[in-house]
Amino acid sequence: MSMTTPASGTVSAAENDVLLDVRELSVVYASPGMEPVQAVDRVSFTLGRGEFVGLVGESGSGKSTLGFALTRLQKAPAQISNGRILFGGRDIRELDAEELRRQRQGGFAMVLQSGMNALNPVRTIRNHFMDVFRAHGHVGAHERAGRAAELVQKVGLGPEVLDRYPGELSGGMRQRVSIAIALSLEPQLMVFDEPTTALDVLVQHAVMDTIQALQKSENFTAILISHDLGIVLEATERVMVMHEGRIVEDARSVDILERPQDPYTRMLLSHYADPRAETISIPGFVDMGTRKREGKARIDVTTTRPTVSARQARSADSAIVVEGVSKVYPAPRRGEEKVTAVSDVSFRLEPGEALALVGASGSGKSTLAKLITGVEKPTAGSIRFGDLDVTGLRRRALRELHKDVQMVFQDPYSALNPLHTVEYTLTRPVVNYTGLRGADARRRVLELLDTVGLTPVEQFAAKLPHQLSGGQRQRVVIARALASDPQVLIADEPVSMLDVSLRAGVLALLEDLREQWGVSMLYITHDLLSARLVTENILVLNRGRVVERGETAQVLRHPSDEYTVSLLDAVPNPARAKGAR
Amino acid sequence: MTSTQNVRIPSDHTGDGIAAPSRWRAVGRMVATVWGNTKARIGICILGFFVVVAVFAPVLAPYGPKDNGFERNGAASWAHWLGTTAAGEDVLSQLMHGARISLVVGFAAGILSTIVAVLIGLSWGYLRGVASEVVGFVVNLFLVIPGLPLMIVIAAYLQNGGILMIIAVIVVTGWAWGARVLRSQTQSLRGRDFVTSAQFSGDGSARIVFREILPNMTSLITGSLFGAATAAILAEAGLEFLGLGDSSIVSWGTMLYWAQNSNSLLTGQWLLLFAPGLCIALLALSLTLINFGVDGISNPRLREGKGR
Repeated sequence: MSMTTPASGTVSAAENDVLLDVRELSVVYASPGMEPVQAVDRVSFTLGRGEFVGLVGESGSGKSTLGFALTRLQKAPAQISNGRILFGGRDIRELDAEELRRQRQGGFAMVLQSGMNALNPVRTIRNHFMDVFRAHGHVGAHERAGRAAELVQKVGLGPEVLDRYPGELSGGMRQRVSIAIALSLEPQLMVFDEPTTALDVLVQHAVMDTIQALQKSENFTAILISHDLGIVLEATERVMVMHEGRIVEDARSVDILERPQDPYTRMLLSHYADPRAETISIPGFVDMGTRKREGKARIDVTTTRPTVSARQARSADSAIVVEGVSKVYPAPRRGEEKVTAVSDVSFRLEPGEALALVGASGSGKSTLAKLITGVEKPTAGSIRFGDLDVTGLRRRALRELHKDVQMVFQDPYSALNPLHTVEYTLTRPVVNYTGLRGADARRRVLELLDTVGLTPVEQFAAKLPHQLSGGQRQRVVIARALASDPQVLIADEPVSMLDVSLRAGVLALLEDLREQWGVSMLYITHDLLSARLVTENILVLNRGRVVERGETAQVLRHPSDEYTVSLLDAVPNPARAKGAR
Repeated sequence: MTSTQNVRIPSDHTGDGIAAPSRWRAVGRMVATVWGNTKARIGICILGFFVVVAVFAPVLAPYGPKDNGFERNGAASWAHWLGTTAAGEDVLSQLMHGARISLVVGFAAGILSTIVAVLIGLSWGYLRGVASEVVGFVVNLFLVIPGLPLMIVIAAYLQNGGILMIIAVIVVTGWAWGARVLRSQTQSLRGRDFVTSAQFSGDGSARIVFREILPNMTSLITGSLFGAATAAILAEAGLEFLGLGDSSIVSWGTMLYWAQNSNSLLTGQWLLLFAPGLCIALLALSLTLINFGVDGISNPRLREGKGR
């Protein structure tokens, strides 16, 4: 492996003060009656005291399994099959349960992605701290109150949160609390496993800043596990890239950025770009503005995609017209204010247009999608699709609407029924909307699979969702949306759950469909980079209001609203990390 | 890839009749999961024993269940392992034949009340608005009425209708709890994206409930079935013990009833109460044990494995 040579030269400055020494570590998942799966494959690295290291990989690369193994939190069926983990010179595999518990204080701690949901909802934050102090007895009874206040202050919260219940705090605040609780044990090693992934884009950034500042001030050793190379490069000094259970590259952040050695790292890096740049290209993509100007088709270098067959019948001919739409939900509890999700929004989605609807969570973009598809009714205003008034539709008429307005869901893992084959899933809309039966319906299903690039079609038709990768599933979801031959596709964050390397392919597919089939597309996202790539026009939503609109390239390059600027800043960008350092 | 190549794609089929090709494999996997659980394996063995005894009762039993030509109130002997009743019948033979009634009533009533629970629970969970409130009212009504008194009232009203009556009574009083459990699961599943997508695919409500939601609750329904069967076996024995069934048939419940009537405890024939009582307890236990394994189907964390 090439990684050991550059690593030993540049990284191990703290060689004489090694905190963690991992040797040839392997972890397998062995459940009874199944083939054992090698999740971590002979991984070796050392960690000096006070280092902040990133661990990057796509889903299934074994990064979380490694993190769990390091803190001895791995559960059956995961087993350490080989290797040693020396923590401060001691092999943690030999610790018994009680030693392990004591070790949690002043030893190693872990902050999880779902850590914010791990707080007991019926106990105050103060109680959580007191439990930890009591269990380990490392803080005297009189100092505990002061200590808890000090800890929450460190993560950027006021002492008043101590008397709150977890349900009264936002997701970002809860994640900060869980970091503070981990800190209360004064660990030497902190493992952050995707600490910000479950949070809103804007909050993500703030929490990452807190983690970075903490690491500097408290000087603990930290490992940041993330799927997002951008985030990791911005935060850490050294990065380990994991792929299929092995560490393929281990180098300083600057080196990874400027001289990536491994092809996998290079591939990951190539999928990042600054949405503010004049022209953007990621593999298989040049942004729409540039393409239009230069009059050339999207270049296609690495991703292999099917050529979408031009559709026989019609292209979109009806516009969606949204006029002065508001949606107010009743107050969640008595005495609270009503929730205004969407407030006085107007726009037109012209036939064949691609419009981006961007905003952080809570900006009302998904509510708008529900309103347009007739799933929910607006409180005020009107939505029309062609001659159809969407707001007053009953069930039967709603079916008519869905024939023309289809939706691509965010999460390909929950949008497909795990028990139905791809063929069944696709046959339903074909039978319901096109009236085809038997062999004709089947031919249509196979055509659809071909359209979204799942070939050989016969094989894919027979598969169950769990036999498909995330990207393949999302293609099935798209195929299902296309089955009724719709005029409008509403894509709600269609790539946010996918690995970076798969995103380009799905985006390219959506793009081709729009161009070849003439489908109009409402692209809902918080990710400005992808919006820049596939849409012509953009609408920025903040708290249910449109704060900015215009041509996508224009708006993103010269944002006028503060909110748009903060969204742009939240896009992880390795190149910016370099500038900052 | 090898796993999919041997899956034959039907070349000619109607739009409605497509079954997932690996359904049988899925069933096989479920059975293997249940069998892999030690407790469930013990349960299956006990249940299997009772089933074998019940099926082959006429062959295995030394005498007919109603042969009353023997010594009355006889103690256990080589001729009559468990003694004889006050009417001069062989207790062991009665026990073997009684297993048939318990199993038939248990499973028939269990299956029927589960079917009712599934139909009502799923539609209740999927519906919204007034219809849901109405169904909810009826279910709650059945939940708050004390079960045993209601059973006794109904059984007394129908008077000596035999096994069918007992089954009907158990079904009427036993479906509500299952419906409630299935309803909450339906409510959580209906919020999933794949249900919304089915709506977007133009599927009707009935189809969504029974083709999209129901198959995802197989393990819960199986668990509910075994639970209902357990309750039915106990209820059947209880009703017959109270003399509300047809006391001329031979079942564990009627054995207890006659043993009680003849004051067998006072005469020292404790086996007459003990043997059917133990059988009822063991049968109920076996079903409960099997349910431990069924839990493992829906929640892999409950599967018993090594390395913990």
